[in-house]
Amino acid sequence: MADSWWLTPFAIALVVGMLCPLAGTALLVQRRLFQVNLISHAVLPGLAVALFWGIEPGLGGLISGVLFALAAERMTSALPQGDRNREAVLNSVLAGSLGLGVLLIPLLGIRVDLEAVLFGDLLAAGPRELIQSLVAFAGIVALLVLRYRQYVYLGVDPVGAQAAGLRVNTLRFLLTLVAAAAVVSAVSAVGIVLVVSLMAAPALLAMPKARSLRQALLRSALWGLLLSGAGFVVAVQPAINLPPGPVIGVVCMATLPLQLLRR
Amino acid sequence: MALVGPNGAGKSTLLHALEGHLPVTSGVIELSGSPLTPALARHQIALMPQRSAIDWTFPITVQELVALGRLFGRRPGCCDVEAVLQRVGLAGLGSRRLDELSGGQQQRALLARTLLQPASLLLLDEPCAAIDPPSRTNLLQVMRQLCDSGLTLVVSSHDWGSDLDGYDQVLVLDRSLLAQGAPETVRRSLGDLRVGHECCG
Repeated sequence: MADSWWLTPFAIALVVGMLCPLAGTALLVQRRLFQVNLISHAVLPGLAVALFWGIEPGLGGLISGVLFALAAERMTSALPQGDRNREAVLNSVLAGSLGLGVLLIPLLGIRVDLEAVLFGDLLAAGPRELIQSLVAFAGIVALLVLRYRQYVYLGVDPVGAQAAGLRVNTLRFLLTLVAAAAVVSAVSAVGIVLVVSLMAAPALLAMPKARSLRQALLRSALWGLLLSGAGFVVAVQPAINLPPGPVIGVVCMATLPLQLLRR
Repeated sequence: MALVGPNGAGKSTLLHALEGHLPVTSGVIELSGSPLTPALARHQIALMPQRSAIDWTFPITVQELVALGRLFGRRPGCCDVEAVLQRVGLAGLGSRRLDELSGGQQQRALLARTLLQPASLLLLDEPCAAIDPPSRTNLLQVMRQLCDSGLTLVVSSHDWGSDLDGYDQVLVLDRSLLAQGAPETVRRSLGDLRVGHECCG
């Protein structure tokens, strides 16, 4: 038993390694990947409040991530596409929500390992985190399978999608919801600061020459599995012995030259 | 019918209102004598959006893009898709990625998607914008063939050139209706209007 301590964290790394790229690719083709960054920073206030009320922290994080993402979307919807002020609004909400989360910890008098939340603590994760990530994985797979054609339409032609009678706002909300679930599940693995690397890098590797969104999603999940698994294996080597989250983030960044070569 | 006017004249706004998804602030839009509702529009009218509204780098094949034209109900088969691709002159290109096509071919692929919709009125928003002259001629020929097959096309354009003569009716807009009628009549009316403007300084 003592030798199998790594099994559950490794399983989480693999599940999160597939889950995050699926959400990342779905958002990237909708040009909404920045939303992941916003959601990941905005889970902290909900997490703090949930801990204070003694409810599931992941649920609190999910609700607050979604609420801040919706608020930011509402604030930017009045601005035209491509307006530079949109980015300023999103960044302000991102920083503000993270600041609020950090402030709530002393204000509510709760104890939170902020370093683990920010950068992950995969080796401390257990079966509960594994189940959480499996549920999020099932959720995003179900959404993408059931609404695949709608998301393709929305990505390639948002104006036409609305005109064709698609419930664009509902589709966007559902994607925000599963992206927030993916972020919350990945907190134990890579933390809220590093999660975006696992969403973006595999998606970037998967996109060139993909002939369909389905192919891009499958490729990104495989790349994520490989990068996350490799990062974990490298991190836990006795000679290296580093926290897996940041190592996974660095491994993802190291693939950038490969992404440029594939174009 | 051509809907002509400068940028910002209201051509796209009018097309989106005709398509039933932009509420009109005054007046009523009727289709074959019945007030236009979103449900009626969905079954009778199809809109081909402006080129700039499309993400041409999206990972999708021509075949899959065209099949999106029939999103609800029975999914189109390969034969349905190949038939519309043939109508627009893209037979055999269904398995290509969208970004592997030329600008003119991309426009025709988008037109093929519009054709797969169960509609008798097609609204084409600047279909000839930003494509080279040979592709433009080709696209205009395809549009003429579609009209001859019994479909009604309303095509917006900011081009006042000789292409206008290919249309049965021309409607000139610049935030309000300036002229309408056959191409020759419209040219004459616009000439009078220009003289009137110059006289008034």
